[in-house]
Order: sequence, then structure tokens, then C-alpha cells
Amino acid sequence: MSDDPLITPRAARGRAPDVFHPGAWVPMKEYPQREPVDFVVIGTGAGGGPLIARLAEYGYSVIGFDAGPYFRPLEDFASDEASQSQLFWTDERLVDGANPLKMGANNSGRAVGGSTVHYAMVSLRFRPEWFRSRTLLGYGTDWPLDWREMWRYYAQAEHDLSIAGPVSYPWGPKRPRYPYRAHEINGAAEVLARGAEAMGYKWAETPLATVSAPRGDSPSCVYRGFCRVGCSTNAKQSQLVTYIPRALAAGAEIRDLAMVGRIEVDAAGRACGVHYHRNGAWHFQAARNVIVAGYAIETPRLLLNSATDRFRDGLANSSGLVGRYLMTQSNQAVYGVMDEMVRWNKGPPSLTITEHWNYDDRKDFHGGYCWMAQGPLPVEWSAAMSGSRKLWGAPLREKMADYNHQVGLKMVGEMLPHPDNRVSLANEKDRYGLPVARVTYSWHDNDKAMIQHALGEMQRSLELVGAKDIWRQENDTNHLAGTARMGNDRKSSVVNADCRSWDIPNLWICDGSVFPTTGGVNPSLTITAIALRTADRIQMLQQTGQLNF
Amino acid sequence: MVNTRTPTGAPRNALALLGSLTGAALVGALYSRSQPTVAHSPTKTPVPDFAKANLAARRLNRAAGTLALSVLFDSALEHYRGQFRNRAMYTPLVTAAMALGVSAHGTMDQRQMPHVVRDTVYVLTAIAGLAGTGFHLFNVRRKAGGVSWQNLFYGAPVGAPMAIGLSGLLGYLSERVRETPSGQTPMVWGLPAGRVVGIASGLGMAGTTGEAGLLHFRGGFHDPFMYLPVTMPPVTALVLGRTALGPAGTERRATRWWLRATAILGLSGSAFHAIGVGRDMGGWRNWEQNILNGPPIPAPPAFTGLALAGLAALSLLENHPDD
Repeated sequence: MSDDPLITPRAARGRAPDVFHPGAWVPMKEYPQREPVDFVVIGTGAGGGPLIARLAEYGYSVIGFDAGPYFRPLEDFASDEASQSQLFWTDERLVDGANPLKMGANNSGRAVGGSTVHYAMVSLRFRPEWFRSRTLLGYGTDWPLDWREMWRYYAQAEHDLSIAGPVSYPWGPKRPRYPYRAHEINGAAEVLARGAEAMGYKWAETPLATVSAPRGDSPSCVYRGFCRVGCSTNAKQSQLVTYIPRALAAGAEIRDLAMVGRIEVDAAGRACGVHYHRNGAWHFQAARNVIVAGYAIETPRLLLNSATDRFRDGLANSSGLVGRYLMTQSNQAVYGVMDEMVRWNKGPPSLTITEHWNYDDRKDFHGGYCWMAQGPLPVEWSAAMSGSRKLWGAPLREKMADYNHQVGLKMVGEMLPHPDNRVSLANEKDRYGLPVARVTYSWHDNDKAMIQHALGEMQRSLELVGAKDIWRQENDTNHLAGTARMGNDRKSSVVNADCRSWDIPNLWICDGSVFPTTGGVNPSLTITAIALRTADRIQMLQQTGQLNF
Repeated sequence: MVNTRTPTGAPRNALALLGSLTGAALVGALYSRSQPTVAHSPTKTPVPDFAKANLAARRLNRAAGTLALSVLFDSALEHYRGQFRNRAMYTPLVTAAMALGVSAHGTMDQRQMPHVVRDTVYVLTAIAGLAGTGFHLFNVRRKAGGVSWQNLFYGAPVGAPMAIGLSGLLGYLSERVRETPSGQTPMVWGLPAGRVVGIASGLGMAGTTGEAGLLHFRGGFHDPFMYLPVTMPPVTALVLGRTALGPAGTERRATRWWLRATAILGLSGSAFHAIGVGRDMGGWRNWEQNILNGPPIPAPPAFTGLALAGLAALSLLENHPDD
């Protein structure tokens, strides 16, 4: 049988890959398909991973499904950008709208561990006011979650992921000390720091999910700089090396290369299992609860694809909001060239950050943004130079020679929720015969105003440190959110604060799609914190007899 | 809940084994043979003995040499890692090597007089330590963010050059003890030498604890054994301080044991660091990189050098009651 993880499932026959030791395995419990398990979790990323682990640790029977392969980072990951595109979800999707999203590297993952296998590890907390942005800041919509409760779950997530962050974080309310110390900053990160100081803004080392000292079987980060195409040393604390091994040890099962195509609903209107495609055939796994954690495209797609006579518009969609309020984050950048050697690809790409404009409200647009130091690898860099700067041939080649002197600042900005930005189903079918997602996206005035503000600020920062040949990358976006928003009532939201759908009491949605607003920071830590909370809530509801299974 | 914080396999076994060995050695130090002392003599009449002064001086040479050895390898490693970008970065290698040489000479030298080369080298070494501290401070201050945790962690280690400075100081004190005329209590700068050495090594111990504390904090105290060098040596420093300021001529068995335990800790620290090197990417097979980026193997014996100096101070105080 092939050992290609993209062809043959690895989690099978009572064992799963031991990601820390080449060729080794860890035992894995397996559940029969016909007997319902307590929880089926669809997706093993920042939302699914913690849920699978925590629910298994609470003693529930849990199966985590992922459409992607079960990688062994020590063996499967090459120091090669092209080869590592195997980590992205590159199945066909239709994109339209005034500003169609570019799907792939920045906003998807297809692997056990989800996109955390290749994310930039930036682990930030929301600004507390964002959980009540409508009431306190006058835009978007309020979350049904209290920031003080979230603060506790952030701390738990930071502990579980051994986040390496600054000794004291300069913005927002007090937070406990990060479990690991911040990494040494590289040349590109120092440029951000000097620029911020010249502007009178605070800066900090970015809290990152890669260890600055050994943890368990993870060695400390060796600053290869290939973080965003998969960490081949296991220093990165992705779901694949943190919650997933915990989940297996606690008795959960992982099914890799298992694409869930449909959630089955019984006559009583309760979810009763999932149809999934694995090893070339469709199977059915019975379940007492189904948790969808497929992120902002695949989650609504699955819910919409699971429509029945009873739920004609898709599951959990009585509000009509499944797929709506899709948000991305603006990810524009300003680049320049320094006289001195910088070597921006050394180390994690975003070692320093300024959250100045997340916490300063003296601006003429809603929402916030931060910016971080950059270190794109050569292929990604040449793609930005050709795609955004329209360089080709000899001029591109000439500019590429400046690679080791390049610096850049890249924003992560809050785009506002809009009902017309959405995920719907196209007529076209994918390789499983399932309708593909149509992703419609347009920037609105507030989004454009923020982007222009950020570009101006980042450019000023680079000018102040003496960067030359400055140019703006104006078209990039990254993280996704929305499409199954949480809220306080069934009319204006898809799930409640516990990520439980209003319509089907044993159907849960727990990933970035529940975000009512997306904030000006990378979302993964917030997704994980919500997942940890959801696991605790499920346990509490079960103990107080409010789940009935 | 499964433990994901401690390593599995060989590193875990090595840590357990080394932890047990260290514990056994610390207990074993309790039962090791004590130096005969004069503390039991019924009268407190000083019985200065030049052989004993010489023994104390040679012990100080040994302490200075241990520190110099630690600094020689540590600075070689760290400055090689820094690619000797500034030529001044060769200085500690030269001074530490010279201090090591004269310390070896002094340890074997049973004569009662100081040696001009030794004396000069030790003074130069002490000055180099002070100058190095200045260089390192300058390096930290000029980085973005100035004196910040980031730069204290990853800039030039501010406390490190004082290790070679202390080596020079201990050597200098050794020469002063050695030149004590027969029948007199060794004196330095008008003070009893035992007290001066005791205070110097106690302060050095406190400073070295600060350095270990800073760097182990940088490592997030990810292994429980990392708390040892920030808990045991401060007690050593306090005990040394108390001894140096307290009554002389009494036998201090607990102090002696604690100093020996600290000396052992410094040596086992190197072994702990070697395990740490093995936990980095590629383990010992990738030693060329991991020796540079992992925990510094030559650093912990600085504690051993200072504990040896403390033991020398203890003998001086026991043998030369001055009050």
C-alpha cells in the first residue's frame, strides 16, 4: 500500500502517526461506524483540534474527521515552497464580487491540524471592546461572549500552545505571563521596532505559537523561516503536535483523508451522523452530536449541502444567515529596501508587531488593524512582485537580487461584516460530486478607508527608518470569518454563545465562522479559546442534564 | 490529561538518571571527609600556619582556574557564535587562557611568595572583566528597545564578563594570602583575607545566580531542574555572607557541605545542559549547531569555581580566627 499521506489514510488499524518520531506510531482507539459516538467533529484545525482533545479528556467518545492527510512533519515537509503547497485547500471554488478573494495559502488548510500546520503562529487576543463593538465602538455587532470569560480561555489556549510572547504586553488589560519567552527578533522585526519608535508608537515581540525552548518532544525553534509552508522541526505548536496527540492519548479517533459531504438529520430533526468519503467510497458514521469546524468556507458549504425536505435552505439556517457576513482581513503591505543586509526570511515571519491602531480610536473609520514585520520566502516574494508590482522578466530578476535587503510591514485589518459578502453553492461539482462553494466578496467604504490609512502609516514607518524603493501591495487579504455567526437570538444568528445551533440542538458549529466581527488581529487564538470554552460548556450542559444524549 | 511538557524516550531517561545522580552526589557530600580544623582547640589562640596559608592560596588558585576554564570555553563558544565581529571579542579567550595557565601554576606552587607573572595576569584579567561588562552593556543599550528583556535575553549577556573578572579577583586575593608572613593572619586591604574572600565569592555567587536566573527565565524554566541554580546558590551566597561576617575559628560543617553541594551542582549543570543540547533539533548528531544554540555547556561550572573559593574562605576563617 502506498505510504503517500495524500493517497492512503494513515490513521487506521488502531494506530496513528507519532508525529515526533520518524516512522513511529501511537495507539489509536477506533469506533464502529454503526454505533453512534458522542461527538463527531468535522475539521481538526484551531477549532476542531481543541474540541476533540477536551471532549475526549472529559471522557466522551469522539471522532475527528479531516479531509486532509495526516502528515509527519519530520519526514514529509520539504524546505520547498512549491512542494509544500500540499498543505493548502486548493480544490475548486468560484470567487466573485468586486474584490474576489484569492483562495489558498492565506485562508485555508487541508491537513490534520488544519491551517495551523502552515499558519504564521501569530497568537493574539482580541481587544476586549471588540466583543461589544456595536455598543462600545458603534460598528458591527455585539458578541454573546463576555471578554472576561474569554480572557480565561485565552490564557488556557496560550498555556496549551506554549505561546512565546513578551514579558509584558503593552496593549489591553493585564494578561498572565506567556508560558515561553519571546523569540530573538530578526533584522526585519527590528526595522518595525525602529519605525514604531520613530513614530512614537509602542511595539512588542509578537506572541507566537512556536517554542523558544524545548517543550516535550518539540525542540526549540531554529529559525529556518519556513513556518508558513509547514514547520519540519515540530517547534511550531500546531494542532497536529499539541491537541491532536492529546486527543489520541485521551481515546479520540482521527479519520484522515475523510471528506464529510453531508450531515444526516433524523425524523425528529436531530443530527444523527455524517456521510463521509474515504478510501474511495462513501461511509456513514452515526453520532449523537455533530460539531462542524471546517472554517468559513467549508462549514457553510457543508451546512448548505446537507439540506433536506425539512431544512430546505440547509441545516441551522432558519435565520437565512448561513454563509452570510463572510469577512476576510485586509492584508496590505508596504515594502522597501535597506542599505544593510536584513535577511528577512530568517526566523518566523512576524516577530514584531504594533497594535497601535487597534487601541487608538482617533481615526475616521471603524475597526482596528495592526501591522507586523514580514519575511516572505522567495517564491512568495516573486509572486507579490509580479502580481502586485507588475514586474516581469529582467526588471523582476533585478529586484529579486535585493531579496536579502528587503523589509516590509503587513497589516492585519478588520473588515466589517456585510450580508452580501457570502458563501453560497455553485452548480459546479467537485471530485466528490458535491456542489462547490461560491465565494462572493466586495470591499466597502470603511474597509477601503482603513486600508488607505494603514498603507500611509506603514509607508511613513518605513520612510523613517531609511528604507528606499518603497512600494505598496494593495490587493492582499488573508484570514476568514463569519458565515455562521453567533448571537443572542435565533433570528439574527446561526449559533448561540455555546456554538450550539438554534435550529438543531445537537448540531454545533465551532470555528472562525461563528465570529460576528473579525477584529484587527489574527483569529486563530480566539478560535481556540472559543473551542475550549465550548468543550467546557458542553460538559457543563451534560452534567446539568441539558444535552439529553 | 496526557503530559505534553516533558520529553519522552532518551531525554527523559537521561534527565531522570542525571537528577538521581546529582541528588546522590549532594547527599554523598555530607559524608565526605572534612578537612581537619583547629576549631576544637580549647583556647582561641591563633595558630597561624604558613602551610595552611599556602594551602588556602592554592585553593584560591584552583577556584580562579575553574572560573577561567568555564569562561574560556563559554566565551569561545559564544564569541564564535557572534563571529568575532569585533576584535575585542578575542580578549576573554586570551585572558581566560592566561588566567587558566597561571592558576594551574599557582595550584602546584608550594612556595610562600607571590609570583609577579601570576599577579600581573590576575590583575589584567580582573580589568578585562570590568571592561567586558562595559562592552556588553554598550551592546545592549544600542539595540532597538535599549535595556529591555529582549536585549537582556539576546544581546551580549551583561553578567557574563564578570565571571572572568572574578577569576582575576580570586587570583589576586590568592597572591595576597600567599605572601602572608609566617605566623600572621592573612590580610587583604587591611581586612582578614578569609572574610574578604568569603564576601567576594558570596557576591560573585549572587551575581552568577542573577545571570543563570535571567537565562533560565528566557528558557521559560521549561524543565523543573532549571530552578536548582536559582534556589541553591542564593542560599550559598547568604551562608557565605554570614560566615564571612560572623565569628571566625568555628567549624561550620553545614556551610562546608552546602558549598560542596553547590560545587557539585555546577558540574552537574554542564551535564544537564548537554541533555538540553540533545533536545534541540537534530540532537547531538547536529552538535555543530546545537552546541551554539542550546544551553551553554561550559557556563554552569562558574558556580563550582565560586563554591571552591567559598571553601577556601571557610578554611581561612577556620584556621585563622581573627577575633
